[in-house]
Amino acid sequence: MSIDINTILMYLLYALVFPGLLFSSVFGLWLAGVDRKVVARMQKRIGPPIMQPTYDFFKLLGKETIIPANAATTTFMLAPYVGLVSLVVLALFIPVGGFQAFGGMADIVVVLYLLTIPSLSIIFGGSASGNPFAGVGVSRSMVAIMAYELPLILVLLAVSKAVSGNGMLTFSLEGITTYQKLNGSLLFDWRLLPAAVAMLLVIPCEVGSHPFDVGEAETEICEGPLVEYSGAPLAVFKLSHAIKMFVMTALFAALFLGGIATGMLWLDIVIALLICTVVTIICMSFLHAITARLKVEQVFKFFWTVVSGLALVSLILVWIGI
Amino acid sequence: MSMQYYQHFPVLSIMILFLGAFLVALFHKSRFMRTFITSVAVIGSFAMMIALIKPVMLNGEIITYWLGGRVPDGGYAIGIALEVDAVSLFFGILVSLAVLLSGLYSFRYTKQDDARDKFFTLYLMLAGGVMGIVLSGDLFNIYVMLEVMTFAAVALTAYRSWNPNAREAAFKYLVVGSIGSSSVLLGIALIYANCHTLNLAQISALAMSKMNPSMLLAFALLFVGFGTKAFMVPFHPIAADAHAAAPSSVSVLISGVFTKTGVYGIIRVCYFLFRTMGMPAVQTGVVLIGSVSMFLCVTMALNQHDFKRLLAFHSISQIGYILTSLGLCTALGIAGGLYHAINHTLFKGLLFLTAGAVLYSTGTTKLEKLGGLAKKMPQTAALFMIGAFSISGVPPFNGFVSKWMIYQATYEKAMETGSIGYALVTVLAVVTSVLTLASFVKVGQSVFFGEMPIEYQNVKETPASMLVPMWIMAGLCLATGLLPNLMFKYLLGPATGAVLNSPAYIDSAMGAGYAASQMPDMSLMADPVIVFAGAWKPLSWLLLFVIILAAVALASLMSKKRTSESGAVIDSKHDTFFGGEENTFSQVASGDLFWGFKHNMRKYLGFMSNAHNGITNEYVTWGVVDLAIIIVYCFIFI
Amino acid sequence: MIVANYIGAILLVAIGFYAMMTNPNIIRIVVGMNIVDYGLNLMIVSVGFNQGGTAPIYTLGELTSGMYFVDPIPQALTLTSIVIGACVTAMSIALCIKMYSEYGTLDARQIRRLHG
Repeated sequence: MSIDINTILMYLLYALVFPGLLFSSVFGLWLAGVDRKVVARMQKRIGPPIMQPTYDFFKLLGKETIIPANAATTTFMLAPYVGLVSLVVLALFIPVGGFQAFGGMADIVVVLYLLTIPSLSIIFGGSASGNPFAGVGVSRSMVAIMAYELPLILVLLAVSKAVSGNGMLTFSLEGITTYQKLNGSLLFDWRLLPAAVAMLLVIPCEVGSHPFDVGEAETEICEGPLVEYSGAPLAVFKLSHAIKMFVMTALFAALFLGGIATGMLWLDIVIALLICTVVTIICMSFLHAITARLKVEQVFKFFWTVVSGLALVSLILVWIGI
Repeated sequence: MSMQYYQHFPVLSIMILFLGAFLVALFHKSRFMRTFITSVAVIGSFAMMIALIKPVMLNGEIITYWLGGRVPDGGYAIGIALEVDAVSLFFGILVSLAVLLSGLYSFRYTKQDDARDKFFTLYLMLAGGVMGIVLSGDLFNIYVMLEVMTFAAVALTAYRSWNPNAREAAFKYLVVGSIGSSSVLLGIALIYANCHTLNLAQISALAMSKMNPSMLLAFALLFVGFGTKAFMVPFHPIAADAHAAAPSSVSVLISGVFTKTGVYGIIRVCYFLFRTMGMPAVQTGVVLIGSVSMFLCVTMALNQHDFKRLLAFHSISQIGYILTSLGLCTALGIAGGLYHAINHTLFKGLLFLTAGAVLYSTGTTKLEKLGGLAKKMPQTAALFMIGAFSISGVPPFNGFVSKWMIYQATYEKAMETGSIGYALVTVLAVVTSVLTLASFVKVGQSVFFGEMPIEYQNVKETPASMLVPMWIMAGLCLATGLLPNLMFKYLLGPATGAVLNSPAYIDSAMGAGYAASQMPDMSLMADPVIVFAGAWKPLSWLLLFVIILAAVALASLMSKKRTSESGAVIDSKHDTFFGGEENTFSQVASGDLFWGFKHNMRKYLGFMSNAHNGITNEYVTWGVVDLAIIIVYCFIFI
Repeated sequence: MIVANYIGAILLVAIGFYAMMTNPNIIRIVVGMNIVDYGLNLMIVSVGFNQGGTAPIYTLGELTSGMYFVDPIPQALTLTSIVIGACVTAMSIALCIKMYSEYGTLDARQIRRLHG
């Protein structure tokens, strides 16, 4: 492999600045701020400033880190960083407005599996803290993962089937975006509408937002896996949560609204980011404001029946090729 | 034909194990001699397999070794052959690797056992039997080796005199396993009656033109027979019992090696002997059995309260993946299945060894009794997590790559055949993978994390001689995940090609042109070129991961004003944040984790739990009914 | 008559499986395994049987045209299979004895610590 210094620098720029670490952090925290603001306005409160999650992040960084006596230290301290990094890597693989920093390195199945790493880091980190609240949280978070994985794979398969033609199967995100550039966005394909709705419901569950935030229910189990975290590791988890919002909404935009092309890359990216914001408002803020938290068995049941059913309808429709 | 030196390696690699077994029995008094002989045997066997990579995998040779120099005469294979093509060698490497690592582990691990002098005799017999199966070119020899292997495995299952369940497990294993052995023997008899030969290559050449009802019956019998050895559903309960009762290093062999002979047998039967895998009915049948094994056993695993029994059910679940993938009869499917086979041996071996380490240190594998061991056994906990991530398919570990290939292969098959059933198999495989992850979160939470029971305060880290083989396995789990290209070049590519190309196998044994003269259809069963539908470049991904991790670490170092003095006074702020009851009594019990899942599935889980009632007769009934169903299926659809 | 052999073999296998399926006594389960074995042995010997064939032992001088043998290979296979069967029986009986001393019963319905 011969890679010159410019390519390396460019890749470093992608990885660390855009759309990698720096950008995804800033934009993710901004999204989290927008989410909080919109929820507050819907509840007739003024709400915090949009930059509040960012301030919180820096404030937490400065606080003391307490490692509980019961904890398995290495796992406890390492978990947040692994989760954060895998999310940033994920951000590099998902096309934003047709711009994909590291195309051809991962496909939708890889994305599906990379998405479990951040959740796993929360689970193992919480588990390592040795707290009973965390134990309950771990159990619930895992059930939430089990719940959304089935509809998510159904959605991904439906999209993949819709995109693949003439016996050629593609799982690649690039292929999916290219197809949409040529044939229009998949959201406007009525067969995939149920899948898009299912995806919109999967996003809050994956991100861990109301009403599916069973794992981190503050009022019952004191944020579950995060209960023993403080200081910088907690800040990193909060940051991961924010980046997850960006990654999941960007994934939605890439899967269902990848066909928007103005010819100008920067405009495309801006549009994609706008879509991210809108999706965040629709599927996180809106749901948050109007619903109460579900019980864990209800979450599981809801995802394996209603949401999976929607996704399955799409898959069957695409399959029989109407 | 001049003999190359390496052509003796197959027979030597089997004989060295058997010879080792007898020598260990002879010198059983001295611990040093036992260790020495066993090491020489397992290392020698592994080295010879590795030495064969170049001629067989890279140069594409097929080594045929006629015992006593009795080459075929007049178109009839009279002698007994060892025939090593890429498939055999692939399984040979896998077997000898697992035997080597688990053998090294056993030296220390068996310290707590009585009758240690007999352990390695049986161990080497088991290893030799398995090697004999995968390298043999003679059907009856395969049967004999199968019995040697089963016999040694049963004896080793019953070996731990202090384990109260061991005899029961061994007995069930023997009885239910005998259905498989009997089926294989009857199948061989029927094949001999039709083809008048026991040589695999010659049968492969003749079977197609001699297809009649009794051959069809033989096919069904052999399939079930080898399926029993792979513990496919409904033979899975005996596997669960046997794995849990056997010493962990033997569980590694039973799960990683013994079951692989079943998979190997199914490949030989379906792709070589009868070449039936091209038929959609056979594909559907195998994929169906694979998917059912996959899903049923993972849900059974979620129900378990014993570390090793849980692992045992997972092992069959993973075999289900392998069967599903092999049943697709596409290059990608075969490669994915074989890849998963080697990965399964590695990660399941690792997990069984960590279970063994926990048992060695604490004396129990009951999930309810354990907890918080990560503080006392950090390396074992790390190894467990590597194993758990590998089996759940978390990138960049090896389980991910093979599962990724299996998803693609099943979905591609769905596209090709236009049947949504295969698409649902993909979905089922993904769901199974998540459930696998869930049950390992359960193990992690209840064994290595959480509150530590007071009686384990003095538990020590696993001894180094046991840790080394485990670290090697963990390293291999990562390496096979990161270097799929090398895996394809050296192992999977040639093996996949060999699975699809039985005429070459036949010609190597019977002389060039024999296949063409006997077989009505010599075409390859599928295009042997492996095409991926997506992209996954683990090395560059990992590089990226490391770069960003470094950046984050740097940032966190710079932002940290003053690190809190580690080892400072532990005061009340370091206590667990909890009110009310004592922390010890408030932990979530392993059985109650995933309550949300279990509550929704309670009818199914309860039914399954009651169905596996442990009565030998019922398990035999399942097996016989399954045999009958498969025979009827074969007669109706083929 | 050779057909009778085949029918007998299949019957033996069926009886053996039936015994293994229905008899809760573990000794009888072992007996059932043995009966299956005998059925298989009978089957294999019958496969190599030729009506009117001589024993496959000869010196060159005795060979005349038109002479034919009983196939010796199945007999060798049967021998092996009998030996294996005997080993399996010995092993399973040994396990039965141990189980009887551990559980105090030979009833398979009560020997079920491993279940679920």
